[in-house]
Amino acid sequence: MGELIVELFLMPLVAFVVGLGMVLMYRRIGARIQRRVGPPFLQPIYDIIKLYGKQTQTSHGLIHEIGIIMAVGGYIAAETLLPVPGMNGLADKGGVVTLAYVMMVPMLGLALGVGQCANPNGSIGISRALTAMLAYDIPFILVIFGAAYVYGTTNLAEIIAIQQQQGPAGWGIVQMPFLAFAALLTLQGLMGKHPFEIYIAPAEIATGPMVEMSGKFMGGLFVMQCFQLYTIGVLYTTLFLGGGEYWLTFLPKIFAVVAIPMAIGFVFPRYRTEDVLRLLWKWPVLIALTGLAVALR
Amino acid sequence: MNNELEKIPVRNELKVLESGQKRTNPLANVFDGLVKFCQSRSMFMLHYCTGCGAIELPPAMTSRFDMERLGIQPMVTPRQADILLITGYVSIKTLKRIILTYEQMASPKYVIGICSCTVNGGMYWQSYATAKVLRDYLPVDVYIAGCMPRPEAVISGLRELMEDIKSGRAESWKKYYQHYDFYLGNQQKLFGEDWQTPTDIIAEARHYDLMSDQTLGEHTALLEKHQKPLEALEMRLSVKEKQNL
Repeated sequence: MGELIVELFLMPLVAFVVGLGMVLMYRRIGARIQRRVGPPFLQPIYDIIKLYGKQTQTSHGLIHEIGIIMAVGGYIAAETLLPVPGMNGLADKGGVVTLAYVMMVPMLGLALGVGQCANPNGSIGISRALTAMLAYDIPFILVIFGAAYVYGTTNLAEIIAIQQQQGPAGWGIVQMPFLAFAALLTLQGLMGKHPFEIYIAPAEIATGPMVEMSGKFMGGLFVMQCFQLYTIGVLYTTLFLGGGEYWLTFLPKIFAVVAIPMAIGFVFPRYRTEDVLRLLWKWPVLIALTGLAVALR
Repeated sequence: MNNELEKIPVRNELKVLESGQKRTNPLANVFDGLVKFCQSRSMFMLHYCTGCGAIELPPAMTSRFDMERLGIQPMVTPRQADILLITGYVSIKTLKRIILTYEQMASPKYVIGICSCTVNGGMYWQSYATAKVLRDYLPVDVYIAGCMPRPEAVISGLRELMEDIKSGRAESWKKYYQHYDFYLGNQQKLFGEDWQTPTDIIAEARHYDLMSDQTLGEHTALLEKHQKPLEALEMRLSVKEKQNL
């Protein structure tokens, strides 16, 4: 019991630190592609401390604050369900279906909070964000269903154990390449980064959902971003890349998983909302259905 | 003309009133130092592009000079931004928007006046429609003079601001609360006596304990006389009826 409590405390903390690294990587990749130097090593942490250090705060009411707590809290809950080397947390009890539910909470929290701000740009942004969620959740659920069917379990800890028994040949990416590829396309939407960041669209709707967020609220969203990238990296690694036995092998895997969609995304222009739907409902869904057909054979 | 110009200092030298509070926790100073350092290394700028100086900012941001290596990023809404860059001459109409924008930013906030026009009106000295001295209406932290300053000058100005923030000198945002009567008076001279912004500066100054003996005065009394209470926007969609064609 004591061990579990320590793990519940440590897992989000580790996720936050690794997530900071991922945010740094995201900005550095963007900078290198644009032939810039990019931000210094500790830039993500400077940003977060600065935002929390603001001396005047603009709150738009109780729901605004609860929304941010939901956005961060949803991901903190998700971290305790994701097994990492040495720590299982609640992974035995939760499973991948619970995780899929919990991963929706932040977006809904954000929608609540933005609704209270009563800024039209924010409302447009959040409606686009929820539409994008509709777009990527269908291939996402297909992928999760397929993976759970192939492994015969929804328990993430068991999924890792099954893959590690057989070595790299037993990894999900070898066993079910179609599903793994569809998942990679879905991740790109899940991250909300280029080219699927029409709901942020700085020059058009002034960062959409974030338009009224200042100080600690924006700081909360910066923290959420760290968790978001980490969750995506770890989930993909767990399902398709054999999880991790040691941190030394685990960290390169999760960073690579996040780096690939980022590097691809930065060279593409933004898709419009209807194009996001068309794209994500067509290709990842088709590929995932093919993968399912192969798996159910 | 030259004598007039010499009277205008390039750096703002209004005195900042010291707050009388003393910190009792020894760690608080360390923590304040850390926050100040982070504030100086992470600056989100809202470039309110008023005039020709705006054209010097894209090169300063992109691959040639790359501001992001100093932690400076463009941000698009005043709520998220720390620095308000005013890049050129300010017409009276524009000044209203600048003040609305400035008041919506979260403190600590900094104003940078770029180009000569923000210092003393520059080539618009004789214009009837231009607000000539920016620091009469807003507290300015750093001026970057030039017509227009090159990206190197912009970046060196920003570095100076970073130093000021780190050493605690860049506290002009407090001046806006502490000398609100002065700033409001100048604003009223331009915009008329019923000038009112959606942000209630006096209430904010009370809430954050930033009042001084110069916050209230004749001009704020005039404001309170005309002030309409702020109301929440009506949340209703209105659909126009189709007209018969």
